[in-house]
Amino acid sequence: MSVESTPNQAQQSALMAVLASFWFEFRQNKGALYGLVFIGILAFVAIFADLITPYDPIEQYRDVLKMPPVWAEGGSWTHIFGTDALGRDQLSRMIYGSRYSFYIGSIVIFFCLTIGIVLGLIAAFNRGFIENLIMRLMDIILAFPSLLMALALVAILGPSLENAMIAIAVVFIPHFVRLTRAQALSELGKDYVSSSKSMGASTWRLMFINVLPNCMAPLIVQATMSFSSAILDAAALGFLGMGAQPPSPEWGTMLADSRQYILSDPWMMGIPGLAILFTVLSINLIGDGLRDALDPKMKTAKS
Amino acid sequence: MFSFLFRRMLVLIPTYIGITLAAFAFIHVIPGDPILIMAGERGLPPEKYAELMHAFGYDQPLWKQYLDYIGQLLQGDFGNSFVTGRPVLEEFFELFPATLELSFFALFFALLIGIPAGIYAAVRRGTIFDHSLMTISLTGFSMPLFWWALLLIVFFSGYLGWTPVSGRISALYFFDTPTGFMLIDSLLSDEEGAFKSAVMHLILPAVALGTIPMATFARQSRSAMLETLSEDFIKTARAKGLSPFKVTMAHAFRNALIPIVTVIGLSVGVLLGGAILTETIFSWPGIGKWMVDSIFRRDYPVVQGGLILIATIVIIVNLTVDMLYGIIDPRIRKEGH
Repeated sequence: MSVESTPNQAQQSALMAVLASFWFEFRQNKGALYGLVFIGILAFVAIFADLITPYDPIEQYRDVLKMPPVWAEGGSWTHIFGTDALGRDQLSRMIYGSRYSFYIGSIVIFFCLTIGIVLGLIAAFNRGFIENLIMRLMDIILAFPSLLMALALVAILGPSLENAMIAIAVVFIPHFVRLTRAQALSELGKDYVSSSKSMGASTWRLMFINVLPNCMAPLIVQATMSFSSAILDAAALGFLGMGAQPPSPEWGTMLADSRQYILSDPWMMGIPGLAILFTVLSINLIGDGLRDALDPKMKTAKS
Repeated sequence: MFSFLFRRMLVLIPTYIGITLAAFAFIHVIPGDPILIMAGERGLPPEKYAELMHAFGYDQPLWKQYLDYIGQLLQGDFGNSFVTGRPVLEEFFELFPATLELSFFALFFALLIGIPAGIYAAVRRGTIFDHSLMTISLTGFSMPLFWWALLLIVFFSGYLGWTPVSGRISALYFFDTPTGFMLIDSLLSDEEGAFKSAVMHLILPAVALGTIPMATFARQSRSAMLETLSEDFIKTARAKGLSPFKVTMAHAFRNALIPIVTVIGLSVGVLLGGAILTETIFSWPGIGKWMVDSIFRRDYPVVQGGLILIATIVIIVNLTVDMLYGIIDPRIRKEGH
């Protein structure tokens, strides 16, 4: 029993030490902490949206169309952020909209990480034809501006939030494949891999147990940055009418709805825009902090 | 240098074949029959439908259609628009100068402010200027482009009334556009006030489109400068008694150029992508708006041809950036990888 538990305990405390030193490094970055706090609040709001929203997000209150927010002239506490052109409560729409941001970001990152890592590792372990095939395929995707590629894909799949997320994931995957392959190649030359190989480890074991954990740091940073880009791109697609469809309270779609009132009622576009900006900014700040904490060498170097 | 370029171009051939395949596949995987879409609401009698299917070659086997398509592309035939009936290539070259003009000034604005600000922040590391620049640039980097463009319109066009909201020039002016660049054409036209109108129309979209690249340039040039400023040869240069300005510009900046040129090259894809949103918001008649309109109108030959042409631009720019590396850093040219 004790023979078994000792390495486990050692592993556990090693993990704790890594986490502790990670947190120590991460805490040094004030911006990253602010970002984490904002995202924490937003996550709380998104999870408990049903409990805290004052109104139904798609219910139309026809007697209060385009009511300004409470701090503006003509505003009232009944609708704190005002109402849109159809009389829907903006605050409730904003709260439910936060769910879409997490939904979009998580699903896109899930696909990017899984597909990107698998393809990247396959390319790194099968040098030659298969590697070339995968990498040229990624070059093709990267030859198109990402938003254009996403638009064309949504045109094929049909406009909906789910298809927009698939399109965004496809456009982001090449970055993950390239990063994984480059990291894996640099790890493959190291001694621990050759010793593991000489002890008879299978390719699968080498890929996922030996090499992959050592490639994770830059992938985590890339995933964080892509989380925010996914939110931006999904909002852009929603804005162009190719993402979430009305009446879903997605922030980009809300911006598109408010577009014809920008000169008469500019507050209507202000709130969703600010929400997108702060969310994306917070995630980017967290990404910066993660980069500093996970890889001190990269601290001053490339972005 | 030439063998380096040649090898670099050889690698492009499979990529390019893939791009044409992707564009070719686009029209076949898209839901709906292209002929019926072209016919529109009225529909078609069956014999006319078969005739059109044959005329467009849609009744041929796929591989033959693809080879025919490549043959047409090699002759510069990108097909005709379903909507206007005009050759896609002709429309592209008519609209491209508008996008080029917009992107050029966006890039100019981004470089003019982004790079000096980044260098200055690196030299004055840790000062208030450095911190505020990094905060501003991260904010710019996180800005939803379409929202930023709308904010600019609300403030400068709506509140201050300084700039027009859309288009390239006021509707009051009529003149020939031999170059397609509105600033040049308006100067050539001798119309009074035309040039000013063109400039006023350009400012807001260019600033909107240039903001995100500007933030990227500032961040990148700061970190590249920080890296070179800590190198030994900088200490030597300082020890020699060179002026701080000369050390920064002649020694550090030249060596920081590689990563900076890389982001400038990468930003062209960002600019073309951003042009889609900027042109749509400002009704700027360039290829970004053309592509969005064509996607909405299901004008598939335009989408197909536009995808290939835009990918070609991105590839040419990447190739140019690779060539620039060779010029900036002779070591890369010699190793030739």
